[in-house]
Amino acid sequence: MKPQHFKFGLALLLTPILLWLTLLIALPHVDMAMISLRERVSAGTYAFSWSNYTAFFTEPLYWRTFMRTAVMSIMATALTLLIAFPISFYIAKVARGRLRPLLFLLCLVPFWVSELVRTYGWMILLRETGVLSSLLQWLGWVDGPVEMLYQDATIMVGLVYTSMLFMVVPLVSTLDSLDDSLIEAAYDLGASHWRVMRDVVIPHAAPGIVSGCIVVFMLTLGNYLTPTLLGGKDSLWFTEQIYTQFITRFNWEQGSAFGILLLILSSLIVWIGLRLSRQSFTKVMS
Amino acid sequence: MKKVFKRASLTLLIGALASSVANAEALRLLTWGGYAPDEVVAQFEKETGIDVEVTKSNNEDMISKLRATGGSGFDLAQPSQDRVTSAQADFNIYKPIDLSKIDADKFIPSMLEATRKNTQLDGKVYGVPHVWGTSGLIVNRKSAPAVADYTDLCAAGLNGDVSYRLKRPTLIGFAFAMGEDPFSAYNDKNKYQAILNKVEEKLISCKGAVKTYWSGGDDLLNLIRSGEVKAAMAWDSGGWKLNSEIPDVTFVAPKSGALGWIDTFALPRKTKAEDAAYKWINFVMRPEIAAKITESAGNFTASKGSDEYVNATLKKQFQESFSAQAVDNIKWYPPVPPGLEEMEGKVLDRVKAARL
Amino acid sequence: MSDPVTTSFDLECRNVRKNFAAFTAVNDVSFQIPQGSFFSILGPSGCGKTTLLRMLAGFQQPDAGDILIKGRSVLDTPPNKRPVNMVFQHLALFPNMTVAENVAYGLRRRKAPRHEIETAVKDMLARVGLPDSGGKRIDQLSGGQKQRIAIARCLVLRPDVLLLDEPLGALDLKLREQMKVELKHLQEKFGTTFVYITHDQSEALVMSDHIAVMNKGRFEQVGTPQELYYQPDTAFVASFVGDSNCWRGTLVSRDSEGAAIRTASGLQFRVEGALENLQQGQEAQVYLRPEAVKIELASASSHGDAGAGRGGENCFSGVVDAVLFDGARSQVQVSLDHSSESISVALPQTPMFHNIGKGQRVLLSWAAGQCSCFPV
Repeated sequence: MKPQHFKFGLALLLTPILLWLTLLIALPHVDMAMISLRERVSAGTYAFSWSNYTAFFTEPLYWRTFMRTAVMSIMATALTLLIAFPISFYIAKVARGRLRPLLFLLCLVPFWVSELVRTYGWMILLRETGVLSSLLQWLGWVDGPVEMLYQDATIMVGLVYTSMLFMVVPLVSTLDSLDDSLIEAAYDLGASHWRVMRDVVIPHAAPGIVSGCIVVFMLTLGNYLTPTLLGGKDSLWFTEQIYTQFITRFNWEQGSAFGILLLILSSLIVWIGLRLSRQSFTKVMS
Repeated sequence: MKKVFKRASLTLLIGALASSVANAEALRLLTWGGYAPDEVVAQFEKETGIDVEVTKSNNEDMISKLRATGGSGFDLAQPSQDRVTSAQADFNIYKPIDLSKIDADKFIPSMLEATRKNTQLDGKVYGVPHVWGTSGLIVNRKSAPAVADYTDLCAAGLNGDVSYRLKRPTLIGFAFAMGEDPFSAYNDKNKYQAILNKVEEKLISCKGAVKTYWSGGDDLLNLIRSGEVKAAMAWDSGGWKLNSEIPDVTFVAPKSGALGWIDTFALPRKTKAEDAAYKWINFVMRPEIAAKITESAGNFTASKGSDEYVNATLKKQFQESFSAQAVDNIKWYPPVPPGLEEMEGKVLDRVKAARL
Repeated sequence: MSDPVTTSFDLECRNVRKNFAAFTAVNDVSFQIPQGSFFSILGPSGCGKTTLLRMLAGFQQPDAGDILIKGRSVLDTPPNKRPVNMVFQHLALFPNMTVAENVAYGLRRRKAPRHEIETAVKDMLARVGLPDSGGKRIDQLSGGQKQRIAIARCLVLRPDVLLLDEPLGALDLKLREQMKVELKHLQEKFGTTFVYITHDQSEALVMSDHIAVMNKGRFEQVGTPQELYYQPDTAFVASFVGDSNCWRGTLVSRDSEGAAIRTASGLQFRVEGALENLQQGQEAQVYLRPEAVKIELASASSHGDAGAGRGGENCFSGVVDAVLFDGARSQVQVSLDHSSESISVALPQTPMFHNIGKGQRVLLSWAAGQCSCFPV
């Protein structure tokens, strides 16, 4: 009797997540894959076709948009890591007492408002008549108003800002588990600060670095609002392309194909990243 | 990446939930901002006891939402007349209108007739007119006095000072300004493509003049208000709204003609409150109610006699922007044949992706 | 150059002090360690010994005083440049490196030539008895092997001083006993000066040439294990090093050789030795080692002469209260006649005492000179 009870209980516990996974993740993806493999022949009639996929590779626009999105996401991930690492190290290893939760909170605070509000915040700061531009003029450093929006650099700033927390959290938790005496031991044995980082801290934090990078990369790649709003006329982000296909072009077939391609290509990039850093996915995500 | 798809499935889910919850005494209205002001909704609810749930939207979004649900989730929609038949042919999302349930005498007859013709598919009528207006230019007469036509938006001297949408009205407007007649080429895809190619080239060369491609009406108004954008292609109502705040800014009917649109009433295929929908249509077409909608939306309606109730400022602004000749020169959108939007989409994508 | 007296010491501390906010962790500590000796700092947890060690390693800066290694102040030398190395409490071997890479780490950082490193590592692994472990991962080693690698990793750098921070604490008892001997051997073999901190008196007593007993940030006494054990300078040392019976009493009379002490419960006995600090009528703390008491079996009726007595011997009779059997370290608790005091006595390993049990009458005696007395 007992084990059966247990099984029933387990099934009950797993039901919500299984329902969630099948109804909201698996089914839509299957549906999306099926839609992506058809072509509109005339009003209301469709036929099987690979044309949506070949369009991605033959139309340089789509391919270039994807490459640009991927490259910028990788850059944003690297930049986030570069900025988040010292912060995480400080939180995990240097800060003591009340300072620690306070710093962590500071990283968390921007996430109490929605992404849209945050992005508009950046727009208020950076627009031509915005806070920063006015400040620079008031200081006399520039002659006229400067437009800081609608540039790739602005997109980058927005993406890094949005991703910071998702890098800091895994980094702090792995760095937290690093025994201080390992750092001291390396230092004691004659290592410079840089060597201590390279030989002890970074190898230990590697799973955190990789998992943070995966999360940030996927979030960045899938981001829609930040590149669209901050990038303006030159934003050109792949998710924007998907959105356009679905919503303004009513071309679900092409949009689905892009969605599937994004899934496959981003997984491929993550896989290559894991191979290059010699980490396994199970280890990184545990 | 999944955002878009999630959105689609979410719409599905919400649609399903909403339809199961909504009873007959609620009208779910899919419309534009300003077309169902609170005051009008409250009066309607008081009179009929029917609750009105308003969802603000735009042409593409309306079609997407109704397509995702196969025409359910809403009881009454308000697409532009030129977008009704193609969407109906492709996705079968609307239900024919029973004109006998409409108080025809409340409409301006010529408009009712034009819409009836333009929204006809296989002998069935899918729309009746509601609000009409134009797209043209909003110009700051002080800082960009020379802008008088669409193509003036890429005149030298305007560097990062203009804005327009990357949507089909921009393509059409530029085509007219470049001396083409895109509407007459609607049924000749080769000719239309040739026009589009010309426009594409122009728009790409124009990128330097553009600050950003606007997408939300409020964003654009802010850009013009702050002076960051000096001239833009936009709706007349926005221009008049700004004119009330900043006298230098106003709507200008372009030399090659403003683009005229009529937003209609159309019944989603799986509407659950058809009677309520007809009640709403007849209610808002009353002259005094229509005038209130004109106040809130900034555009005139197809309601006969509502002009008398509209305040003088708007009338004056309209007359200032439109001479009698300019009114005659309005290019009314004919229904879009299927397939054209795909061609336009590719052009718009390439413009967006182009780098100078 | 520096003065020859100071250079004969590998490590010297002069009036070193360290405060943490209002708390003084190390208070005015001075000591000198001769070259090649095994020096232990023994004290309870929180006594400041770890802080002192970390200052020697360079991880913390003293607020006052000076630290000299081979006669040269190292206060301005960061840990990675100091000629001292440290074996950490949990060893801190690098888990992402092999055994050989761990041992080679310091040499690599010194940019020693590759072939030199290889030979040195090989040689060092052989000397600590793990010649074939070079390619192993750290988690493949046993506790004792890790210990040896941690020491090898430091010794391969030939430091002037090796600091050890309770490295045996994590080991089980058997292994700890074994490692004590091994550590001492290693130290003798390499001739390096070891500074070893521990709270375990037996580790300190077994291995050290000299021990400093530390309490509340100060050194109470520095001396050989024998000196600490037999001639404690302070009450703290007497109680902390080894087991002791402890009584509190009043000095009732004194003469040229010694004095008589009486406890509150009426036990009176004679003490001899260093009593300069004690006056008639003063309160004193008296310590007596269990093994200093001579025990004899007595018949059920016999009553020994209670009290202080003849020729500097204290003789008492009593009844066995409890037998604490622990092999060679067995003790009995005896409650004395004529007083409520009880006393722990080491049990001699003669057959006569094998059957001793509760209720057995015994005669106890100890020489007056065996007691250590300190004013309260």
